[in-house]
Order: sequence, then structure tokens, then C-alpha cells
Amino acid sequence: MILIPQNENELADMVRAAASDERSFEIVGRGTKRGLGRTVRADDVVDLSALSGIVRYEPNELVITARAGTRVAEIEAALAEKNQCLGFEPADWSAFYGTTGTATIGGVLSADASGSARLRFGAARDHLLGFAAVNGLGEIYKAGGRVVKNVTGFDLPKLFCGAMGTLGPLTEVTLRLVPRAVDCAVLAIRGVEPESGLEILRRIWSSPLEPTGLAYIPRLAAEDMFGDVGEGISLIRIEGAPAPLADKIGLLPTLLDGREATPLAHDNDIFARIASGAAIMHRKDDIWRAFVPPASAAACARKLAPAFWLADWAGGALWLAGVDDVQAVAQSFGGHALLMRADDATRMRVSVFPLEDPVRAALTQRIKEAFDPHRLFNPDRMFEGV
Amino acid sequence: MKLPPADTAILARRAEIVAALKRLVPDGVVSESAGLAAYDGDALSAYRQAPLVCVLPKTKDEVSAVLAFAQRERVPIVPRGAGTSLSGGALPRADGILIGMGRMNRILEIDYENRAIVVEPGVTNLAVTRAIEKRGFYYAPDPSSQIACTIGGNVAENAGGIHCLKYGLTTHNLLGVEMALLGGERLRLGGKAFGSGGLDMLGIAAGSEGLLGVVVEATLRILPRPPVTRTLIAAFRAVPDAGVCVANVIASGIVPAAMEFMDRRCIAAVEDYCAPGYPRDAEGLLIVELDGLEPEVAEQVTRVSTIARAAGAHTVEEAHSEQERARLWAGRKAAFPAMGRLAPDMLCMDGTIPRGALPAVLARMARMSEEYGLGFCNVFHAGDGNLHPLIIFDVMKDGELDRAEAFGADILKLCVEVGGVLSGEHGIGVEKRDLMPAMFAEADLAQQGRLKCAFDPDGLLNPGKVFPTLSACVEQGRMHVKRGRIPFPNLPRL
Repeated sequence: MILIPQNENELADMVRAAASDERSFEIVGRGTKRGLGRTVRADDVVDLSALSGIVRYEPNELVITARAGTRVAEIEAALAEKNQCLGFEPADWSAFYGTTGTATIGGVLSADASGSARLRFGAARDHLLGFAAVNGLGEIYKAGGRVVKNVTGFDLPKLFCGAMGTLGPLTEVTLRLVPRAVDCAVLAIRGVEPESGLEILRRIWSSPLEPTGLAYIPRLAAEDMFGDVGEGISLIRIEGAPAPLADKIGLLPTLLDGREATPLAHDNDIFARIASGAAIMHRKDDIWRAFVPPASAAACARKLAPAFWLADWAGGALWLAGVDDVQAVAQSFGGHALLMRADDATRMRVSVFPLEDPVRAALTQRIKEAFDPHRLFNPDRMFEGV
Repeated sequence: MKLPPADTAILARRAEIVAALKRLVPDGVVSESAGLAAYDGDALSAYRQAPLVCVLPKTKDEVSAVLAFAQRERVPIVPRGAGTSLSGGALPRADGILIGMGRMNRILEIDYENRAIVVEPGVTNLAVTRAIEKRGFYYAPDPSSQIACTIGGNVAENAGGIHCLKYGLTTHNLLGVEMALLGGERLRLGGKAFGSGGLDMLGIAAGSEGLLGVVVEATLRILPRPPVTRTLIAAFRAVPDAGVCVANVIASGIVPAAMEFMDRRCIAAVEDYCAPGYPRDAEGLLIVELDGLEPEVAEQVTRVSTIARAAGAHTVEEAHSEQERARLWAGRKAAFPAMGRLAPDMLCMDGTIPRGALPAVLARMARMSEEYGLGFCNVFHAGDGNLHPLIIFDVMKDGELDRAEAFGADILKLCVEVGGVLSGEHGIGVEKRDLMPAMFAEADLAQQGRLKCAFDPDGLLNPGKVFPTLSACVEQGRMHVKRGRIPFPNLPRL
């Protein structure tokens, strides 16, 4: 059964009914990320797309409140009119999961789907200031606030980002915004091997240039994207007003050991292709992301020996195809991994989300119970029972 | 504010508890009354309470052992860093163990390649920057107590500071923590990688005010020091003009490193105290700091000056040397002691409001000050709307503490009324605990309480802080048995 609540009270009624009937829900917005996570076997689907619309946008406060089912594209269009944007650069994975829909803000937050600018401005979790949600008892409650600086009670907004809806459906969210850069340049260093290409990116990451994108594309992926570029290519995105931007570009050579960074012609959407998974989605194999300390990126890639890979976030996020279980290796480098795309059976067999030690696993279960005591929401999507 | 009544059964067992702790931490137990007096409170100075006993562990295992003991013996436990909390977060209990983390003060690892530093919880905030500045790096959160306050306390309170407008609070600069849980188990979250995977427990650890666990290690993000920092002051004849200036700077797309406001009373007090050279004829003063690369900063300095003049500033001046810049900041940072000279006691409030509400809130606070017959001044982080009204009073004068607290509570309720929050960076502690219902409905607080139960079902970790009443965790402990099956029988449960 597909349930489509028209407002949060209807949703709360549905949750109470589900609790008494012992029926579980799969929560969807526009259904663009149903392929992410373990396979959900729920009795019903609750579709939040009708909980849509911008509730309050205050450009001078750099804050926006929207219903959870609002399409990200609608929010971004409203922000662009005031030269503002979402700093975490929401990643649009709709095509990656083979859907034609457009992501909702609730879905993007629940998956913590952050793009390349995460490197500079933080993840989705760093931008959600407050929310309203329905818990597993069918109660509507709120958490956080509408201001950027707030330590009033537990920071539940962070807990909900990346929780994949397992703690309950968000109904309304308040986000902080950042001013949109006037101008943007993407530069490329061609013919660099993984070790040196990533090392250069880290040097720029540690410089005052405040880059908003640092990606490394090894030979195979680079051939797809740019034709023959030799060993691989390092991509650098820098932003600013025109004159300061020119100055930043001018400083770049001092960080490059004599290598040349040249402007890329079809520039900005290259980072969208990386963050959205478009650069890797044509692969037939399972696709993972591994999050490792940036300085371990090349070593991690070497150890995993993927058939196809690329790196975002100065090496902090690796997209990998043609590898088996990545969790253990990512963990051995002090990081973690996420199985982004695989068939249903694989997603039930391997750890989609990071392996948890017994202490953490027990807490994960207890936190789930604290929000969803009857385990109604997205059963098993993250872990068995969560 | 009433402190909770002590559990007499625990008081009666004091000697036994002291002896047990001495076995766990042989060289780190303070139990004689003169020694305990040093630990009888924090920077919320109106409240004093010596702990039952104080324990000062030096290792993670000692912390775990103490927490396991506390749970086994059902003794409340209060974590403490340097005791600089302004909200009473580290206020001891007569029937509770105070666990002081100050001896765990080593920097464990500096990793420039990954822009991370790993520290023990008792390392001071400033010591982090000191350890990395020679390589051109720094740690961004800079609460005004940074010379003394510890990283463990910063994590617990999600400390901010002057520069969090651009660089975020502790939570945005925290890559990983290891926490000792009640019962002694240790939980590691995050590390040098981006994100911590799974449910974001790292996100709720920051700002949890010692209610979920005790931080025994933290991994922090370090930042490259911007090559250029320039600081301006803009003086206004009318306070609302300063508010307009703040709004217009933000609306113009500039994110200053800092944007601070002081009112006339504060300017006068600071001038009398350390003469930073602020114009005494101003009703309001803004200090704006811009950092980054030279041309970008230069362009922004010009734009901010233009915006300030257009908003009605009669003086806009820039610090022309590092010395002058330090002097301008010295005044701002001396607001506390300067006001402290005007009266024996002071309450520093900490609400955050939408920036647009500044003029109205400032006017309302001035009226309240008259109604309560208590002096106050306004300093605040204007860029992010985080107010720090300082209320001055004399605790020895009959009824003044009550009046000061009522005045403070009215200010915070006003913050909530205009769409803001009770605390921007000091935490709720005991100070604002009873105001939580002004911001959160019963269902909101109950949900937070259930999260607390997930970590501390016995309610022993820093009890009496943050939440006005914490209902017992019984309901949560009951496992939902669906269709006669215990859910997930193979999963570990604490």
C-alpha cells in the first residue's frame, strides 16, 4: 500500500495506525535513492512528496525552512535568485540510481548526500539547523532551531543526517545558507600519477586558496571524461569575486612544483559529474565509496586495486568500481565505506554501512529504539534491525 | 535555581566510595574538604557545591574504571574540564563523584598531511593552536576562556568563540572522539576521515554537556592560517544603525572572520579598564575582522567600510599595525572583567536571535533593565546573532540574585519569542535548565530524554543538567516483542 499524507498530522495518524497494526513503512520522497542502503522489506510505502514547499526564506538571515518533500531543485532556484546556495552542494544521485525523479531536501539530508564543496563548507549534517519530524509513537516533535549558533539540547539534526530515515520521517527542515561565489574556475593538472596527483591536491587543501573542489581522476576514468591525458588528472576548483579569483589562480603555480595547471573548458559541471556518480555509473560492477584520511587515498586505492576509480574531497572520498567488500580495507586506513550500488542480494550480504564494534552496535540499536520503538521506519535499511 | 537534594544513602557511604576510588586511581583522589573546595563550582559563580569526592584520572582505563564503578554503585558522576563553564555544566553534586580530566593533557599526534591533531581531553584550547602555529596552522574555535578551557569541555559544550561566524563551532571542527560510557565501555567515533559512518553519534556527542559520555580523546581539524587579517571598528550614534550594518554586510555576501558588537555602557567600562581607544561618544561599536588572501581582504575592507558609512557610522577606522589590532581586540576581550569592576557579581547570558531582530531585542532589553533595576551591558557576536548581555548585581544584597536570574530568564524567553534559542555556545547546564520548556514542547523534550536513556539508562551522568525533569527510562528499557519474537536475538545489547 502507498500512503500519501497531505500534512504532518495525517502522517502522524498513519504512524499511530501502523504501530497498532504492526505494519512497517518504507519512507520515500521522490524515490531517487531507494537503491542506497540494505534492501528494505516494509509492509507499506509512505510517500512524503506532498509535504512540499518553501515555508520561509530569509535571505538576510542566510536561513531557509522548507517541507521535507520539497525538491532540491526548487530550493536551489529560490536561493540562486538571491545569490545564495546550500554550502554542501547537494549531490544528485537520481540518474546514478536509474531514476528520472528529482531529489527532495529530506532525502538529501537523510542520505547526507554532499557534493564536492563539502571539502570547504562541510557536509549536509553541518547545514541542517533544525527540523520537525514524526517519531515511532506518532508524535510530531521538533529539534534544533532557526539560528546558526545553538547548543540548546542535543544536536538531533546531526543525528538525522545520514540516518536514512531509520529514525523517522522528517517533515520540515531549516538549513543554513552560504553566499554564492561570484565566479568560479576549474583548473587541471594533466599527466599525474595517483601519488603525486593526490599529493598536490592536499597541498592546495592546506593552502589559503580555500578550494571548493579537489578531485583526482586516474587514467581510465580520465580517458572516459577527457580523452587521452596520460597517467591521470588533478582537478582544482577555486571560487571568488573576479579580481581575487584571478589572484588565487596566480598563486597556484607556487604550490605545483613546476607543473602546469590549465583552465578546463567545460568547467563547473565536471564536479557535478563526479559528485553525482555520473562519472562511474556506466560501470556494470558494484560501486562503493570509501572515506579515508586524504593522505591514505592513494595507498587505499592501490590496496583495493579497483577496476575503475576516482577521488573527490582531496582524496577523502574514493569512488570505486570492481572491488569486493571495501569496509575492512577502509577501516584499516582509519576510515569507513558505503556500498553505493549493488543488486538486492549483495546489499543484504555485505555491510553496506560501516562495520560496528559491539559497543557501537548496541548503541545504534538503542538509539533506533529511542526514536522508533516499534521499528516501523525503513526496517533494516542501515543494519539488521535499524 | 534549586540544586537537587543530596541522596543521604550515598552520603553515608562516602568513606567506602573514597576508598574504592583510591584503589582505581591511586594518586588522583581528592577527598579532604580543603582540597574539594577548589572544585566546588565553575564559572557560573553564583552556585557553589563541593563534590562528594573528586577523582583525577590520568589514563583512559582509569576513566573507564571510574565510570564502571559509578554505574555499579549507582553514584552520580559529573565530568569537569577546567571548570570554565558559564552555565554550570561542571557544577558538582554533594552526592556525586566529580571526574576532573585536567591531568589527561597530552597532545598525542599532529598530522599535517591530514590536517588533524589528536589530543587528550585536558589539553587547553589555546595549547592546540600553540602546538601547530609554527607550521602556519591553527585550531579555529576560540572561546574567550581559551587560555584555560579544555578540549573535552569544548566538545561537551560545543564551544564557539569570536571566529565561528566563518569557521564554525567545535562540532564543525571535530573529526573524531573517543568517549568512555557509563559502565566503562569505550566508544570510538570518526577519526581523520570525513564523516564517521553509520548513525552520526559524533554529531550528538558535541554539545551533549557530559550527559552521554566522558570524552577521553578528540581528533580535531586544523586550518591553514590566512595570510592576511585586517580589523576595523565602526562607531554608530544609534544602536539600530549598527544592526542595519550587520544585516547589510551579511546580505552583501561577505562572511567576516568576526563581527562583534558592544554598546555604550560596555564601551565606557572597557575604556575605563584598559583604554583600547574606542570612541566614547558611540552608542554602538562594531569590530569587524576580515581574513584571507590580500586582494580579497582588501576588497572586502573597502566594501564593509562603505556599508558601515551608509548605515550611519560616524567613525570607521582600521587597525594599521598588529599592535593596534591586538589593542582593539583586547578591549572586546576585556568586556567581562571591565564590567566585573562595576559590581561584585555578573551573569553572562547567551541567547541567539535572528540578526534581523537585533534592534527590537536591544530596545526591549533596555526597558527590562529599568524594570528590574539592574545594570547590564551588551556585547555580542553580531554576525551570528549570539547575544551576551552581562547583568551586574550583588549576590549579598537581598533578592538581587533572584532578580538578576529573572531578568536573564526574560531575556532568553525574548530570544525564543523572536525565533531564537536559549543558548548559542555556553550550553544549558543548570543555568537555563528550567527554561527549556520555553523553547521545547513536552514531546520535544521527551524525545531528547529518550536519547539520553539510550546512553545512560540509570541517569547517572551529569544528572540535573540540561533537562528540567528526566522521566525514568523504564519505558525505553522495555523491548518491543513483535508477534512473540524477541527482535534481533543475535545482536549485542548493553
